[in-house]
Amino acid sequence: MPVFPVAGSEKFANQPASREETLRAVGDSVRLHDVDHAVVDALDPLTYEVVRHRLTSITEEMGEALKRMSGSVVVTDCNDFDAAIMDEVGDVVQVGLYNTELAASLDMAANWTLRNRSRGRGINPGDMFLCNDPWVGGGLHQNDTSLFAPLFVDGELFCWTGAVAHQVDLGGASPGSWSVGATDVFWESLPTPPVKIVEAGEIREDIEDVWLRRSRVPKLVALDLRAKIGANNVAHERLRALCEKYGAGVVKAVMRRTMDDAESRLRAKLRELPDGSWTSVAHQDSARAGDRGIYKIVLKLTKDGDKLVFDFTGTDPQVDGLINCTFAGLRGGIMPVLLTMLCGDLPWAPGGIYRCIEIISEPGTINNCTFPSGIGKASVASAWATTNVATECLAGMLDTHPEHRKRLMSVCCGTWDFALLAGVDQRGGGFVTMLCDSMAGGLGARSDSDGVDTGGLACIPMGRVADVEMNEFAFPMLYLWRREEPDSGGPGRFRGGVGASSCFVPHDSPIGGVHLVVSAPGKALPLASGLSGGLPAGTQHDVLLRGTDVAAQFAAGRIPGSLTDLAGDADLLPAHHETDLGPDDVYYTHWQGGGGYGDPLLRAPAAVASDLRAHKVSQGGAEEVYGVVFGADGVVDEAATTTRRAALRRTRAGLDTEEVTA
Amino acid sequence: MSVFIDENLSQDDTGSVACRHCTTVLGVAAHPLRDARVRVTAPQTAGPSVRAEASHFTDREVVLRQTFCPECLTLLQSEIVPADEPSSRSRSVKVVGA
Repeated sequence: MPVFPVAGSEKFANQPASREETLRAVGDSVRLHDVDHAVVDALDPLTYEVVRHRLTSITEEMGEALKRMSGSVVVTDCNDFDAAIMDEVGDVVQVGLYNTELAASLDMAANWTLRNRSRGRGINPGDMFLCNDPWVGGGLHQNDTSLFAPLFVDGELFCWTGAVAHQVDLGGASPGSWSVGATDVFWESLPTPPVKIVEAGEIREDIEDVWLRRSRVPKLVALDLRAKIGANNVAHERLRALCEKYGAGVVKAVMRRTMDDAESRLRAKLRELPDGSWTSVAHQDSARAGDRGIYKIVLKLTKDGDKLVFDFTGTDPQVDGLINCTFAGLRGGIMPVLLTMLCGDLPWAPGGIYRCIEIISEPGTINNCTFPSGIGKASVASAWATTNVATECLAGMLDTHPEHRKRLMSVCCGTWDFALLAGVDQRGGGFVTMLCDSMAGGLGARSDSDGVDTGGLACIPMGRVADVEMNEFAFPMLYLWRREEPDSGGPGRFRGGVGASSCFVPHDSPIGGVHLVVSAPGKALPLASGLSGGLPAGTQHDVLLRGTDVAAQFAAGRIPGSLTDLAGDADLLPAHHETDLGPDDVYYTHWQGGGGYGDPLLRAPAAVASDLRAHKVSQGGAEEVYGVVFGADGVVDEAATTTRRAALRRTRAGLDTEEVTA
Repeated sequence: MSVFIDENLSQDDTGSVACRHCTTVLGVAAHPLRDARVRVTAPQTAGPSVRAEASHFTDREVVLRQTFCPECLTLLQSEIVPADEPSSRSRSVKVVGA
């Protein structure tokens, strides 16, 4: 059924509000702490740096608290969460180094809460608000549940802290809230606008019951809720101590200057770059199970002086499926790239960084969708694709500058390789988990070096992969392997980092098998594009082998090392799929690497030889794509390589084979 | 004074864009790859990293579109995209002094 307008949903179609708008909406209902510009100007540099770094370390402590209290492998081992400190109106002063996509819209959620929850029950000391409504902000899809808390000092709302983490299941048609058949949001987890779940320091049991009742794993979600409460409590304790030591005015002045500093230094960096525009496109194949469409996000980035304009005009309309994202998702797609590519040497204060950019986007498009479009996969679908176009355009801009080009990176791992398992674990309890193996995506190539192999994801600087043993301990599965895959990094003068694959079989579940949800695009076309002639990374590749002889091979003491070592019927899986795995069914999933940089025929032959020895490229890839010829001793044949490369230059351009379109 | 547009292209103060490897003029600031050579082939031409036929997953034809310097044949741009979609990739650097 096509999406139709829902009366009243406009209340939640949040857009960033100015400070003045916010103050008007709040009125006298909450006293907001402020500081005079004179105090900001009077800050001495030493105090500024000491307090600023303390704020940074508080976000790290929030992350540590979250990890120690959560019981979800997605959080404890894979760092799919983040934390932030915001000022009194929600502008982010410091974002943590974890999943920056998640924290990029915490400001919107806190600010919406200020404007819409100040009256009635109000906003008071000890309160915390829960939100998993991506139209409001705070996360990119419903699984990203944020919990943000106002900190009051001397009766005034001094600042907000926020923690956001991926919850493994919050209801919906499919386990993991990843309803691959979804055509709209009503198939998915119910979006929950900001609700006061902690009041005066106590969890509201009635609200918590409403919250947990929707989940297939309520105890795990309850633990995550407490982990986020703990993270906010840790932050408040530290911030109170900071205010007691330096005074609230000084701490607030540091917050103001941190954002001002981020803004002014980013503007200064932009002024060093030539003005111009860069356009790019990012595709996604399949919007839901059974869909064979390809959808695009188009970006024109214009740099004018010290300002960036992100114009998404030309992006496809929202689609019946689960791949759309809201405006919060669009922002979440942009901010991680700004932070890692442009802001590595300045404060990670999105509140200041956002002042340097303008976003043009039409509501009703796949990365700015309206309610009730399906958004269950938003974070790793249209938000991720937004990251891809932003990466390509910003990298193109940096490539024009002899110094700043050293910070560019091609598109990293084109998208998330989603594989979710659910069922009964080896201890007899129900379980749901998202495998986070593809946290080890390939990073994009740089202008002077290869991308980092299985280096991670651009948007999650501190993303991690759970150990194979941890996954096997926690869930009813056995790995045949997890390993890097040759040729998966985009070829180039500098090669994209390679991706990897995992292969596993259900094991020791009392019901025999497990339920599998697959949501992994990039199969019809690769999604991590290259730069300056560099080729895209490899495609996603998922194979399900039914009825294998894996048990017999294990019994004989053999661990199969490739799919061809296994008997059984192979099924090449589409981007979206849901099925059951029996005890003899083997699942193989191969995620993407990073895009390449520069012409692969300009890559040093010795580097290709090194790649071949390290299984980063195959013999075929080395010869066909890089044009390197090896002698019988495995050493590069320089003369033959020169000849082959000259021939390849002509054949790949079509000069010897066909008519060429000029 | 010229500026580099990327690894392969430079632009002089008249807005003329040339190949950095062989100095062949390829276009102007607004259309830096105007005179470049474009070739469209099957995605598998990109190498073994393209694992399966696109037709297994979509009904749209998918192609590898590569752009070369017509003189030295350096690969300037590559993309794997739906065949019916014109390239959305471009750049335009402001001409110095303009």
